[in-house]
Amino acid sequence: MTAVLFILFAGLAIGCAISMVVQRNPLYSAISLIGVFISLACLYVMLAAPFIAAVQVIVYAGAIMVLVVFVIMLLNVEEEDRQPLRLRALVPIAVILAAIFFAETAFIIYFVQASPVSLSRNVSDVGLTSSIGGGLFTTYLLPFEITSILLLMAIVGAMTLARSGGLLPSRAAVVPGDQVFSKEMMDRREAGDLTPVVTHTTEEAAELLGARDERTK
Amino acid sequence: MIPQLSWYLALSAVLFTVGVVGVIIKRNVIAMFMCIELMLNAVNLTFVAFSSFFHDISGQLFVFIVMTVAAAEAAVGLGIIIAVFRNRESLDVDDASSMRL
Repeated sequence: MTAVLFILFAGLAIGCAISMVVQRNPLYSAISLIGVFISLACLYVMLAAPFIAAVQVIVYAGAIMVLVVFVIMLLNVEEEDRQPLRLRALVPIAVILAAIFFAETAFIIYFVQASPVSLSRNVSDVGLTSSIGGGLFTTYLLPFEITSILLLMAIVGAMTLARSGGLLPSRAAVVPGDQVFSKEMMDRREAGDLTPVVTHTTEEAAELLGARDERTK
Repeated sequence: MIPQLSWYLALSAVLFTVGVVGVIIKRNVIAMFMCIELMLNAVNLTFVAFSSFFHDISGQLFVFIVMTVAAAEAAVGLGIIIAVFRNRESLDVDDASSMRL
């Protein structure tokens, strides 16, 4: 019975994973990834880890994927268009290397003995919330605290990165009455020659820039 | 018939390989990001499987910490993606080939 359930959820996970890679629309791949997360949560329940299963659904399928879908919607991502494959000459080499890899894996699986460790599935309290909390606050207290610092750094970093700033650095002061350039003028990717030129007078600079002052004539 | 430990390890290897292939062949930044999440989940599955079969709690605590790191990675990574998109108007990784933002 459990084998049937394992095959069901494993097939669902692999199918959703392959669908995620094959899809061209990022929104569809996000939904396939949620399918992978849900089936992995079911496998965790089968492995007698109900706490991890709940956290998997809440954190991964809930929080992280909502964030990803939100960003996809925000950026209005279009479907990937089919582009010509780069490095087409390497395809046969890749096929040969993959065949060698599969042969090695099959060799190892065929010749390695089954592990002699008795994997008895007794009733245990390993996966329960209380035992996880006990381990987290006694033996693994230091990693737990470091994790909280990591989350704080992630909050600060995400706010710094995603703040609306544009091209101006965070410390730039905008003077009232100063000139405001359009984004096309400020976009340095479009500008061609940006090498500095040394001039000594204003007239030379005006000549170089192609803006001759009429009063000097 | 009870699922053996090797079954879970094989499933995890397959999921990890699918994630690696996705990171290699995808060109959309968000799709590559999701493939990385898939690889993290494959590793989590091995942790939980070993923890369950050897009756040791450490594996599940590692999974807990990996999930926290994944959440932090999602926040910072999506912030970087938004910043890059704002400057380049594109999510294609080939358009973002220089280190300069």
